[in-house]
Amino acid sequence: MAQEVERYRKPTRILHWVHSGAFVVLFLTGLILFIPGLSILAQDSITRIIHRLAVVLFVAAPLIYIPMNFKSTMRGIKEAFTWGSGDMEWLRAAPRYYFLNDEEAMPPQGHMNTGQKLWWLMVLVLGAVFFITGLIMWAFKEAAPGALLEWMVLLHDVAFIAAGCMFFVHIYLSVIHPLMKGSLNSMTKGKVSAEYAKSHHGKWYREIS
Amino acid sequence: MAEKAILFDSSKCTACRGCQVACKQWNENDEEIPTVENGVQSKNWGSYENPPDLSPTTWLKIEFREVERKGGVDWLFTRRACMHCTDAACVRVCPNGSLYHHELGFVAYNKDTCTGCGYCIDACPFDVPRSDRNLLTGSAKMDKCTLCTTPGLDRIAEGWQPMCVKTCPPKALKFGDRSTLVSEGTQRVNTLKSKGYSNAYLYGANELGGLHVLYVLDDSPEAYGLPADPQVSGSTIAWQNIIQPLGWALGGLTLLGLGLNYLVARQTKVDQEQPVKKED
Repeated sequence: MAQEVERYRKPTRILHWVHSGAFVVLFLTGLILFIPGLSILAQDSITRIIHRLAVVLFVAAPLIYIPMNFKSTMRGIKEAFTWGSGDMEWLRAAPRYYFLNDEEAMPPQGHMNTGQKLWWLMVLVLGAVFFITGLIMWAFKEAAPGALLEWMVLLHDVAFIAAGCMFFVHIYLSVIHPLMKGSLNSMTKGKVSAEYAKSHHGKWYREIS
Repeated sequence: MAEKAILFDSSKCTACRGCQVACKQWNENDEEIPTVENGVQSKNWGSYENPPDLSPTTWLKIEFREVERKGGVDWLFTRRACMHCTDAACVRVCPNGSLYHHELGFVAYNKDTCTGCGYCIDACPFDVPRSDRNLLTGSAKMDKCTLCTTPGLDRIAEGWQPMCVKTCPPKALKFGDRSTLVSEGTQRVNTLKSKGYSNAYLYGANELGGLHVLYVLDDSPEAYGLPADPQVSGSTIAWQNIIQPLGWALGGLTLLGLGLNYLVARQTKVDQEQPVKKED
């Protein structure tokens, strides 16, 4: 059997799937406001209630995870905000890599490559934006001034557009892209082959081996 | 069709509030027996004005203001209801077109398709739309004056006057072609000016592209509690004119880019695998 290395521990994987499940529900119920033809689904606030149920899960999942996995949370947050010159190189090399499978200019990557890190950073930052603006719209709809609520809607929607686009990219790269195989395993089984780790996350592989 | 409007002459209004009652009666907007629970305060709050505010079942109310001028106190009455703007913030911001312009220029809405998002409530420069919101579930439906065009209760389609106009004893309310009412209103303002009301003003002739409720005021709009220069806020315009198209553009470009990448990357894979196959 090929040698395997652990990439994501079980609690992290559970958090990922609960959180992403909630996100998909939130994304689809929010998308309805951008597709007037589907507004029949939003009639009588049905999707609004589903949106609220999903957000409870979306917020509760990390809140339960963080105190139980404090060290890895801190490590993860630090990772999202650690950026260096290698990340610029990655961004320059990415188009040739993802279109033509040309790895030559690709610098060795850490635990997360630059693209994953960018997505992870957006999850953290946009998650906070979603939470704060959404909370104000939910709990202070009657109390807050209209102008503030209008800006909350705008920010919520800007975050929605950014997160939505990156969400497409995330799914595409982990499941659909013809040349990227194996990264899905890291979130389902938690492990990837040593071969995969060496070629895709060289810097990280050296750290752990 | 020629645009229609209501002309409210504040200098003739006696604040009998017959319009409020008629509005409720025709539109079947029964207020429940006043208690504090359903939002209507039954205790004295220092004014003859009643009820204290617009609500989902109070689409029209007369506001009372005491103003000191010419050495005495004047009682000014303002009609508070939907202004039926031409450049209507609520129509701009409604995500699914539930709010729309009636062919006669009024702002009508389809309550069945209203999702209860409440964007119109936040956007209205006159603070008119109302909803009863369940704060836990967020479920709500917006309500406001329909200028008597509510489906099933449509007086205008029958060629009748709106209920408030029909009932007004001192004829402070008039209904008719908007252009006719603008000239009538201008005339009345000039009469008031010649009688010494130097601040007299026809409100709604040009505000927000022209309102479909015109006000003959014998003082400045501020004295009547009306915004002197009502505006559709930037964030209101941004939502429909920038954010929604931006969302479609970026989302579409992302999917297009990924599709393109898929085609190229698949070809790359085929090309790189071919030599291996030949060796077999």
